[in-house]
Amino acid sequence: MRFVFHITSKPLLIAFLSGLCLAAFGQEYSSKFEAVSLKKSKVNFKNQLVEDQKNNILRYEYFYNGGGVAIGDLDGDGLDDIFLTGNMTANKLYRNLGGLKFEDVTKVAGVGGKDSWTTGVSMADVNGDGLLDIYVSFSGKGTPESRKNELWINLGGFRFEEKAEDFGIADPSNTTQGLFFDFDRDGDLDLFLLNHHIQVINTLEFDAVRKERHPYAGDKLYENVGGKFIDISEKSGIKSNALGFGLSVLASDINGDGWPDLLVTNDYIEPDYLYLNQGDGTFSDRMAENFQHISHFSMGADIADINNDGLPDVLTLDMLPEDNERQKLLYGPENYEQYALMLKQGFHHQNMRNMLQLNQGNGAFSEIGQMAGISNTDWSWSALFLDANNDGQKDLFVTNGYFRDYTNRDFLKYKGDYYFRQAIDGQKADTLHLVTSMTSTPVHDYFFENKGNLQFLDRSEAAGFASKNFSSGAAYSDLDNDGDLDLVVSHLNETASILENKSEKGSWLQVELREKSQNPYALGALLTVFAQGETQKLELYPTRGFQSSSTYRLHVGLGPNSQVDSLQILWPDQHVQTLVKPTINQLLRIEKAEGLPSYQASPKKQSLLAKASDGAGIAVPTSSLNDFKRQPLMLTMPSHLGPIMAKTDLDGDGLEELFVGGSKGSPGRIYTYQDSAWVAYRGFRSAAEFTDAVALFEDFNGDGKADLFLGSGGYHDYTSEDASLRDRLFLNDGNGVLVPQGNFPDYRISTGAAVALDANGDGFLDLFVGARLIPGRYPEIPASRLLLNDGKGKFTLSEAALPQGGKLGMITAATKQDLDGDGLQDLILVGEYLSPLALINRKGSFEDQSERYFPALLSGWWSSLAQADLDGDGDLDLVAGNFGLNSQLVANADKSLRLYAADFDQNGSIDPILECFVDDDYYPFASRDELLDQMAGMRSKFTNYAGYSKAKVSDLFTPEELAKAQRLEANMLESTYFENTPEGFVPHALPRIAQSNPTYAILVTDLNGDGRPDLILGGNQSQNRIRIGKIDAGLGLVLLNAGPGRFQALSPAESGLMIKGDIKSILELSLGGQKTLVFGINQQQPEFYHRQ
Amino acid sequence: MKKTLTCLFLLASFLVISHPSLAQKKDSNWPRIYSEQHFHITEVMVTDVASPPVAARIYAYSNLAAYRVLQESGAEFSHGDFLAQSTIQGKMTGLSLGNIDAPEFAAIYAMFLVGEKIMPSGYLLEEKQEAWKAWGLKTKTVGKKNIEAHLAYAQAVADQVLSVARKDGYLQLTAMTRYTPKEGPGYWYPTPPAYMAAVEPEWKTMQTFFLRDLDQYDPAPMAPFDLQPGASFQRQMMEVYERGKKLSEEERLIANFWDCNPFKVEFAGHMAIGVKKISPGGHWMGITGIAAQKAELGFAETAFLHALVGMALHDAFVSCWKAKYDTHRIRPETVINQTLDETWKPILQTPPFPEYTSGHSVISSAASTLLTAYFGDGFGFVDSSEVYFGLPEREFTSFYQASDEAAISRLYGGIHFRDAIENGVVQGKKIGAFIWESIGK
Repeated sequence: MRFVFHITSKPLLIAFLSGLCLAAFGQEYSSKFEAVSLKKSKVNFKNQLVEDQKNNILRYEYFYNGGGVAIGDLDGDGLDDIFLTGNMTANKLYRNLGGLKFEDVTKVAGVGGKDSWTTGVSMADVNGDGLLDIYVSFSGKGTPESRKNELWINLGGFRFEEKAEDFGIADPSNTTQGLFFDFDRDGDLDLFLLNHHIQVINTLEFDAVRKERHPYAGDKLYENVGGKFIDISEKSGIKSNALGFGLSVLASDINGDGWPDLLVTNDYIEPDYLYLNQGDGTFSDRMAENFQHISHFSMGADIADINNDGLPDVLTLDMLPEDNERQKLLYGPENYEQYALMLKQGFHHQNMRNMLQLNQGNGAFSEIGQMAGISNTDWSWSALFLDANNDGQKDLFVTNGYFRDYTNRDFLKYKGDYYFRQAIDGQKADTLHLVTSMTSTPVHDYFFENKGNLQFLDRSEAAGFASKNFSSGAAYSDLDNDGDLDLVVSHLNETASILENKSEKGSWLQVELREKSQNPYALGALLTVFAQGETQKLELYPTRGFQSSSTYRLHVGLGPNSQVDSLQILWPDQHVQTLVKPTINQLLRIEKAEGLPSYQASPKKQSLLAKASDGAGIAVPTSSLNDFKRQPLMLTMPSHLGPIMAKTDLDGDGLEELFVGGSKGSPGRIYTYQDSAWVAYRGFRSAAEFTDAVALFEDFNGDGKADLFLGSGGYHDYTSEDASLRDRLFLNDGNGVLVPQGNFPDYRISTGAAVALDANGDGFLDLFVGARLIPGRYPEIPASRLLLNDGKGKFTLSEAALPQGGKLGMITAATKQDLDGDGLQDLILVGEYLSPLALINRKGSFEDQSERYFPALLSGWWSSLAQADLDGDGDLDLVAGNFGLNSQLVANADKSLRLYAADFDQNGSIDPILECFVDDDYYPFASRDELLDQMAGMRSKFTNYAGYSKAKVSDLFTPEELAKAQRLEANMLESTYFENTPEGFVPHALPRIAQSNPTYAILVTDLNGDGRPDLILGGNQSQNRIRIGKIDAGLGLVLLNAGPGRFQALSPAESGLMIKGDIKSILELSLGGQKTLVFGINQQQPEFYHRQ
Repeated sequence: MKKTLTCLFLLASFLVISHPSLAQKKDSNWPRIYSEQHFHITEVMVTDVASPPVAARIYAYSNLAAYRVLQESGAEFSHGDFLAQSTIQGKMTGLSLGNIDAPEFAAIYAMFLVGEKIMPSGYLLEEKQEAWKAWGLKTKTVGKKNIEAHLAYAQAVADQVLSVARKDGYLQLTAMTRYTPKEGPGYWYPTPPAYMAAVEPEWKTMQTFFLRDLDQYDPAPMAPFDLQPGASFQRQMMEVYERGKKLSEEERLIANFWDCNPFKVEFAGHMAIGVKKISPGGHWMGITGIAAQKAELGFAETAFLHALVGMALHDAFVSCWKAKYDTHRIRPETVINQTLDETWKPILQTPPFPEYTSGHSVISSAASTLLTAYFGDGFGFVDSSEVYFGLPEREFTSFYQASDEAAISRLYGGIHFRDAIENGVVQGKKIGAFIWESIGK
């Protein structure tokens, strides 16, 4: 389901129910692949493994990684041929006879290879003679000699000669694959050798091991010097330590500087490397600067422009399953100390799931794999982006499967029991028995159709990938020259598949490049196709996916288009060749022309905002509090709520003071801007025990000077009615000194929101204080309060003024407007597990009329709220921040998030049990370890992981227990624009990129001076359970108001905003006459941006 | 009978029995039968991977049930009733169940009933209960007519014991704030390879059976964290480091013999392997059984001794765990890796809780003090508890010899400093002496 962000004439939920976004050219095509029968194809290759005492997974960690596929036209007949590698079986070469018929020419060609553990394969014209050669890699537990990689030089006519020694690349490393590319742009092909270790390194040795180069495990870079390859790894900056478990390597000009960069994915603890080519013969790993978090057990990968914005995006695969049962069998206890240690040792943020790093330009990447819908594909090997249905959007194919359920948590304990039992029985433990006692679960490959708008739709079953197996290497090519891409997939213990593309498809264009150089295939060229305002880019780097290399033909889908406007080739030497209106639905063979112009980068457009250095002097509270130690079943940590900010001119000098909220241990402070720096404001002091959740500068005593209300919030180590939860009022003494008011009512709630409004129509500003939570007792709902002002700043609690005794929900944000036009200000509230509330002012008391103003099914994890006349119709519309779509959690009209809470085991603690929809049904979110840690009684109920893996909430509790429990529900997570109409508020989801992170701060201001209020959103959430991980795709988002109800999302390059961190507040200040935006960021210095 | 029923402690009895089965006569060797049946409790703990303090609690309550059956049925004990001086005395009042023909039968059954309820995988004991009933009938220990009465008797006693267990603070543990390692030098932090979370940081809140004021059993102060050459802590660290490098075969064997790590995790890439052993408490329950067999105790005395040792182990663990989470002391592995040698690894896997005092030292000393008091000093025995883990039997001339060896084994193993061992021994002996004192012999 998708949200549209334009106005529809029909109110209510119609806007939410429109269909999927159309593909690039506005037409839908369904993808379909069909296996070609063995009888027809004659491709009978089978990567058969034989498990015995000597060869098994306990002896060799990469025993089930599978084989590779390489495709290329080896004999120049216009038909792509296929080479397949076998780990324990001979490799095979199949000549393409056309019509998806193949002939096994392995014997004639002599390329069966030696009897060693064979891994990946690549095709490249290594010697520049115009014929593609084959480079085969080896690994395993054998001798270095047995692992020497093979280079099969193509002599033409399917005759080959093994020449690796001659070329200097008979390397004995434990190689996964070789990648050929011209890294120094000298016109010939160099080699990056991706290697892996064959022993697991003990954590203790990490630091030592990282400093050393390992001769067989470390990656290598070979420079081609006149046909001889020279190892230049060390001097070129390539890391070669024994922690490297390289599983894929891709070349791509990630940063668009014309030099090919490299992505190396690493299994286990070692982070992936993003080697940026420095253009001087060296690489620099800039992964951590570019990617905020990465896959933990990174496997296959692909790089392609998935949203046609001209920037290559990066996908890395991992092993998170889609279904509940396999997830529950896999998840162990969350270990925050170990995670902290991993960070401290420089291993970066790593989580076990596929990561899609959306390239936003200028080195800004937003990880949106979950929002895109491609994060969970089980134990995955190959990722290939290819436009399968020729609709102009690159779809995604993922192979997966691991022959033994090796990570099953029960197996860990079972194994221990087995040894114990064998010991008691006086028998020797048998490793092979253990291996074969591991279960084997085949899984289906995944095929996702790219629907545009950063959405992929799982079409695995419909597209022909329903059957379950163990797939590894894969490659694509138009094998039958019919204008679409077919697939070749290698399986463990089963015959490899040739999958014919039978999609209902759009028009197309294929391009083959040739140049007269030592790189005749123009490896590294960039093709740009312009059609109908859409721009598609493809880089010619056939080595991609996993252990495999695909066709040398560049394939572009064109949808319903009957022509392309032009195409542009950026040759590896950075010369540009342009073809205008070439004929489509054909293969274009393009020879590099003479005298081409050099590529000229277009000048950068000025961004709306520019980062300024105005933050000096501001102290920001930091805290390493872990709320999960207190309530282990919460999802996010409520302690880390600030800094909040507020501004006013306190001393009447015409300059605005800035309040920056504190967190327990670090008091809130007010600052004055003097001489380009912030200095502490003298007339205010707050105690360090408080956590500031709301700050309101208002004139509460009618003396014309701003006073300050501070709502105290937080979770921290506060008791449920902690004295530090008192809200505070400071009255301005007229000289700018804020005097604390001891007579302010003493009520103890963790405040989430507050609004100053005249509640009883007496002309004085009263206060609504929204209650967020009770520390230690989440999600119990505390009572919000109404406080009446006697006009002199003396407040009294107004009992019974609010519906439900004030227990309205976990309130996070509030605003006021006169909804019913009676001249009295009404309240609009949002909160967690709450549908927006409209409380109508009945002169001092409030009546819940939410149903009159808001449609149903809007319960969300709302966290921020702003209002403005966004559509220019004279009334106030709303913008509300929600949790967004970029997590494992799903909530919509059909699938809700349900939270049951009670002290189920009667031990004095609230047990919040979240139930969520996973794959096919509702299941408890908590892993077995998490649940057992919360409730001792569950330990007898679920004595193993298997038992819990199928458990539903109804297996945890009796219907009576559930009936008595507090029950909360959420059914939408999109941040939303609410259009104010006579029928009430009509929700429209904000643009999709705004859903890639939770939104905690919203500022409305006219940024581009067109008279229409624009939106600036800030958010992210880093304080999550480890399993959820950091949600940090947001970089500060500008949404330009593009006419009634339409918002245009600006990229970081356009807006100038690139803020990494959890934005909690945004303010606009005037600093020395300069309009300045201030972003309050959790645990970080605030960032300042000037308008340009 | 399955082979797996083979008694763990069989080899301790000098008699060589070819293949012991449960088909014993009524006047059979009760201490051996007790040990055999008691080992089923240990087996379930191994399945559940009960941590050392949790294991001791289970031993305490399950053996208490057996003892209570005997007491209820009017058995006489050579050292009187130790419950009279316990903290649970008021909750262990007589149930007026009267006499039964075979209190031994009901006692073992009550032990199973408590074990079943108190352990997560307690259901595994159902099979043992059935086997026990069959044995009782087959050996005519009980008859078809009166077996139900025996089972009901056992159930009543088990219910009483379980009602105490339910209120001993265990269920409240999950309501408490989880442990956050303290920041700063010298503090404990999770250790490789699994970096497991701190085990039972709030164990000091558990009800003890005999100790009424835990502060009285706090160990002597530990050497303050000080890495200056010559400082006590620094010297102790160097001792662990250097000693580990030049262990004799015998010392290496001692370290492994007393390892008693219930769950050692070995990693191989994606796969973690849990290697299981019995806990330190389990080891001493084993020795208790071995001694009871050697002394040819009757059933009542056997039950008395097992319950007393089990409950004392629990108290000793609570006291030791209080010290651990009062001091939060760093493990040798962590400080050596940080300051001395980043690749140093102890021979034993460092268990997941702070260092001071050494649990094995405290609980072994408490147990040996009681066993010595009961059997007298110089009671020699052959400890065969670890034969199943590939380690030979070890002969000891006294309980103290065994407990002192258990204590120093932690230094050889590289997981404790000397003061945690020596002060732990003192702490444990004080606890043992107090308990023996308090039961009034």
